[in-house]
Amino acid sequence: MQTWTEKVILFVWCGFSYVFLLSPMVVVMGASLHGGEFSAAIKFPPDEPSFQWYSKIPTEQFEALALSLLVAAVATFIAALIAIPAALGLVRSNFKLKFAITSVFRAPLQIPAIVSGIAFLQLYYLIFDTSGLMLAGTIPGMLLGHVFIATPFLFGTIVAVLQRFDHRLEEASYSLGAGRWRTLYRVTLPTIMPGIYSGGLYAFMVSFADVPMSIFLTAPGFVTYPVELFYAMENDFDPSILASSSIVIVFCLAMLLVVQKVVGLETLLRSGGGSAR
Amino acid sequence: MENRWIAYLIPPFIVTLLLVAGSQFVFIQNSFYQDLGLGRTGTDLTLVNYLKFFTDTFYLKTFWITIKVSAIAALLTLFLGFPIAYVVARMKSKLAMFLLAGIVVSTFVTIVIKVFGLIIIFSADGVINKTLLNLGLIERAYSIIGTQEGVVIGLMHFTIGFSVLLLYSVVVTVPPSLEYAAQIHGASRLRVYQRVIIPLCAPGFVVGGLMIFNMCMGAFTSAALLGGGRVLTLPVLVQRTVMMEVKYSTAASIAFVLLVSVILINLFSLIAIRRLRSARLVVA
Repeated sequence: MQTWTEKVILFVWCGFSYVFLLSPMVVVMGASLHGGEFSAAIKFPPDEPSFQWYSKIPTEQFEALALSLLVAAVATFIAALIAIPAALGLVRSNFKLKFAITSVFRAPLQIPAIVSGIAFLQLYYLIFDTSGLMLAGTIPGMLLGHVFIATPFLFGTIVAVLQRFDHRLEEASYSLGAGRWRTLYRVTLPTIMPGIYSGGLYAFMVSFADVPMSIFLTAPGFVTYPVELFYAMENDFDPSILASSSIVIVFCLAMLLVVQKVVGLETLLRSGGGSAR
Repeated sequence: MENRWIAYLIPPFIVTLLLVAGSQFVFIQNSFYQDLGLGRTGTDLTLVNYLKFFTDTFYLKTFWITIKVSAIAALLTLFLGFPIAYVVARMKSKLAMFLLAGIVVSTFVTIVIKVFGLIIIFSADGVINKTLLNLGLIERAYSIIGTQEGVVIGLMHFTIGFSVLLLYSVVVTVPPSLEYAAQIHGASRLRVYQRVIIPLCAPGFVVGGLMIFNMCMGAFTSAALLGGGRVLTLPVLVQRTVMMEVKYSTAASIAFVLLVSVILINLFSLIAIRRLRSARLVVA
């Protein structure tokens, strides 16, 4: 039974934390609507709300967004192809070096992204020196780096789901005459699907939001959206950037709603996608 | 049966091992060649880059600032994250999920956008400066870009969403019945916090705090944008050394120092988890 004072303290404390947490996003969305006098100024709260900046978003920003979406989607897909068999193989088999193997799969999470970024850049230079193939500034090069940072998220959530998996379901499937592949396809995969979805969502979002890895792998005309924003903020920018940022925030919100519909937020939290970090 | 599952494991393991070992090996090896500038390196293996790092006050100061801002940011993040985690974990209504959804969305949005928002809030004619000026608390507009406080706020935004989710998973392991039991036996609410909630959550706080500290140590984007080139942390220094000075080996050695410190903190927190877990079993 909480006392009155305690409730008030917790409410104020919590409220402060939420304002701190959410205000930057609210401010970006609000300021993007500014349309009044000196409309090229960045102003919050906005004067004379209008959507004028939304129609003035330059094509480079849309191209960067498209590249980010493409890289995040393909990287998540490849990461799933790596993480699903890895998690199945690891949880099901029994051998002594399990801990060591798990650490290798989780290693990209321990390595700061900026270190991975410079590591991949130097790896690509070495490949260029030996074979003449330049991966930095290309889609495959960017993808490889993003697969590297995205895989542990999927691996972590699928392992978490598999550890709670009821083996009798598979045994039942075998005893009812289903073969190995049929069991995998009809029983095992559907049960670990929530883990794949929530891990995939985190993997996608981490890749979509990444700056420190991508910043080393971009080239002129080949820039992901967060990096484009990063450079814009280091130089001069106009409010069209606020408009495209707001679109991204709405997109993130929409992704959450999709997940809520598909697997439910509770599954997302329980499978530890967030704490995989 | 056994072998079949190991067969699943082998191809993804080889791919991951190649990516991890390949990328890390190349840059670590590079860090042991003398940096001649403009991307050129010497031919002999040497420790000269590391000697420079640990003798040059500029690098040591950067290292110290990285640790300092990360520690302050981690503590403040725990302080702001705990009430949300506690309130949401103890809430019985549907509102709890809604509140958590807000946190999850904030972890999805790229930190660049959040820093953008922070810069608007703290700009010369932004909300904070106007209020403080009107109240007469400051004489001229205060800028957070290029200050350590700014970097701390940026790092907090980078980690707070994650830390709330982490603390939430800690608080849900403490059953509310323990709180009721203590109160039935006459403990005041303050005492319940002192003797039940905080001691039971402490292991999670320690480990979570170390993880958040680690994230801050490796955080690049918020530190780069809010440091504005005046406050440098190790990740920012790594990027600037590559992009502005084109000194790959020097950057590699700084990155390796960062990597080793982060791994050491991780090992330390792993040991801390073990210790605290066994200690908790005794208590329970």
